Amino acid sequence: MNLAAASATANPHNPWLAHTVRIDRIVKETPGVATYDLVFEDAAVRKKFTFRPGQFNMLYLPGLGEIAISISGDPNQTGRVPHTIREAGNVTRTLAELSVGSTIGLRGPFGAWWPVDECVGRDVVLVAGGIGLAPLRPVIYDLLSDRERYGRVTLVIGAREPAALLYPSEYDDWIRAGLDVQVTVDRSVGTWHGNIGMVTALLHRLPLPDPGNTLLLTCGPEVMMWYTVQGAMERGLKAESLYVSLERNMNCAIGLCGHCQFGPQFLCKDGPVFRYDKVASIFKVDDL
Amino acid sequence: MTMEQPNLLKILSETRFADGLPNKHLQSICRAARLLRVPAGQRLFQEGSAEDEIFVISSGHVRLTMNVPGRGEVPFLTAGPGDLIGWSSVIGEGRMTATAVSTEDSTLIALSGSRLRELCHGDADLGFELMKRIAQVLSQRLLSTRLQLLDLFGDAGAKS
Amino acid sequence: MTRSDANDVDHPKSGGTRQLTRFLDRQDLEVLIQRLTDDGYQVVGPTVDQGAIVYGDITTSADLPIGWTDLQEAGRYRLQRRDDDAYFGYVVGPHSWKKYLFPPVTVVASADRTEVGWQMSTPDETPPRYAFLGVRACELAAMKIQDKVFTGGPFVDPIYQARRNAAFVIAVNCTQAAPTCFCTSMNTGPRCSSGFDLALTEVVDGFLVEVGSDAGNELIQRLPVTEATSKQLARGETSRQQAVDQITKRMDTGGIQSLLMDNLRHPQWQDLATRCLSCTNCTMVCPTCFCSSVSEVSDLTGDHIDRERSWDSCFNIDFSYMNGGPTRNSIASRYRQWLTHKLATWHDQFGTSGCVGCGRCITWCPVGIDLTQEVAAIRSSPGLKADDIERDASSNGEAAS
Repeated sequence: MNLAAASATANPHNPWLAHTVRIDRIVKETPGVATYDLVFEDAAVRKKFTFRPGQFNMLYLPGLGEIAISISGDPNQTGRVPHTIREAGNVTRTLAELSVGSTIGLRGPFGAWWPVDECVGRDVVLVAGGIGLAPLRPVIYDLLSDRERYGRVTLVIGAREPAALLYPSEYDDWIRAGLDVQVTVDRSVGTWHGNIGMVTALLHRLPLPDPGNTLLLTCGPEVMMWYTVQGAMERGLKAESLYVSLERNMNCAIGLCGHCQFGPQFLCKDGPVFRYDKVASIFKVDDL
Repeated sequence: MTMEQPNLLKILSETRFADGLPNKHLQSICRAARLLRVPAGQRLFQEGSAEDEIFVISSGHVRLTMNVPGRGEVPFLTAGPGDLIGWSSVIGEGRMTATAVSTEDSTLIALSGSRLRELCHGDADLGFELMKRIAQVLSQRLLSTRLQLLDLFGDAGAKS
Repeated sequence: MTRSDANDVDHPKSGGTRQLTRFLDRQDLEVLIQRLTDDGYQVVGPTVDQGAIVYGDITTSADLPIGWTDLQEAGRYRLQRRDDDAYFGYVVGPHSWKKYLFPPVTVVASADRTEVGWQMSTPDETPPRYAFLGVRACELAAMKIQDKVFTGGPFVDPIYQARRNAAFVIAVNCTQAAPTCFCTSMNTGPRCSSGFDLALTEVVDGFLVEVGSDAGNELIQRLPVTEATSKQLARGETSRQQAVDQITKRMDTGGIQSLLMDNLRHPQWQDLATRCLSCTNCTMVCPTCFCSSVSEVSDLTGDHIDRERSWDSCFNIDFSYMNGGPTRNSIASRYRQWLTHKLATWHDQFGTSGCVGCGRCITWCPVGIDLTQEVAAIRSSPGLKADDIERDASSNGEAAS
């Protein structure tokens, strides 16, 4: 007689179960973009929660739904889990109206992460476009926490205009800690004295003493990532050393609902971070 | 050959623009070139004016702007080491399509457009190598401009 | 209860030791149903309803489609009376067993507003214990495929897992095939070889019964069965062979992964877009399709929210919605997604094809699209790219169109 009937909550790892988190701090970053520091209400969960750079959580507003948000904090720090979020739809706009102390739900972390281990002993170029800097910031913290293990580390940041630059107050800290930070904007406003142009133009000019041994990690609009990757290969970086972070409709985040598929890949478990050569053949197929 | 020339050759040869150029071509080009060191805020050329010089940036940065009545000087691109600006003096009618002003102390190699054209007519191989490099710069510039036009970081483009 | 055969780890009902084939008299099918009901199972199986053979509750054997058969072809399904009283004289209808294991609508989690903030929980109900009566070989294969999807990955769906673990499977060997069947091309049938507790083959005066698991073995001890005679065995063999002989549809699956993935810009996708209505019928009737969406269902107070998972379909235009618009904004791209997933990328994801050759999608497509013909069309003209100018064959090695 076949009687094994495990009830759902008896299974401690029910992947549909969200934990309660409290908004501990809200930092307004740029117009329409804010960082929410979330803290697990359950102390045991709070202690156990760890993530790798590039992973994301599903943040849950009951009655509205879930959204997939990259974790944008320091993976070596537990307690507060920061998420930089841009207002784009119902859930994010309602979230923007919540205040410190409000509770929401969280499932995670999910997804494939940036290859920080592979960066050891090598030069690294990080190319971030717009809010794409948020999923790369954990990499920056990770690299800077042990700076001598890595070679030259360059961060190229692109944004629409100076006011849209993310985390500008940290750039000097990062420079002091050993990062080469280069910033560019699509259009200049008023008193901007820095670069104007796409990140691809900066990448084109970047000194790369050892391109065959350099990794490039990029996150931003897909078109930007495509041309960044092409430009990197023109400079001699190998396809197996390039990493992108892709995005598709995310619903369950646990590989069961089918929404996030991109060719054979489930972005929620095979991605969102991909080594470029693994997605190269389907990257530019329209409407895939 | 002035005292500057050996220095000029070396500086030019180290730019990405000159990457792969055989030495004999480098020397020919240097005959049409002068070294220019400019402070921040130096205008190199004015939009609309007919100029003869084309510039290769060795170090420093130059901001390109266009004048729009009512909006003033609108900056649209920053050129940096290895970039070429003022290409209109070699290609086209010679009227500059932008105003170029250095944003910091910069070192540039200024090349005479008319003398370069003479050199190219006389040496097809040099002409090909030069035009190829100018075309590459322009193609790179065009891609960057298109990407800026797409406004990728606007509302519809950025990650949520 | 003991699980047999540790090698078949991805599937709860493995072959076990092959035992003697038994024979169950026709009228004793009722006893089987009764034993299962007494054991606490909800017996479900084929019934006649709304002009089709669909899965529903079976309280007595009279609930089965006795004397009915189905006439199926691309875009057409009709029932017709047989000239005998066969219990299982038809193939498969619009339902598959996924309606029980992967319910069309189900609550996966809930949220309650409390003084200490939102508290989330997951359902704590005992899952239903189904006895599936009449599972065909293609459906056994489909269940194995969905087992991998729902329980074989890094995250297990507890709802599917609980129902699957509790289910008792009585398979039925097909004795006929429809023009839409192509299980032989997909190596999934028509013979049931594993994945069942008991397997029946209908013959004129009863059923041959094979045991496929310890649970099946336990039940058969309590049924009025006899050892099958060689005559009965021969009749069973003849019946099963009839199914094999009646299969006419074929799909050539040789190199199908690269065939489809190397032809993502083939004009056939545009051609399909002139016919496909993007109606999602195929995904609903397909026994392996698993796409779903979770939506929020609130009570009147707004203090209790259920997270309801419903079947969804990659054909729905919003399925791929992101940042202002769907990424698959054309019928051509959505059909391409479905077919390339089902026949090609499923291999990358789960190690097998996603198709079991049941033919439901062909029957239930309102415009009669036959995926086997679509594959054949691409196979007959690989390398074409829609809207491309004719290129010089010598310069790029592609065949001139």
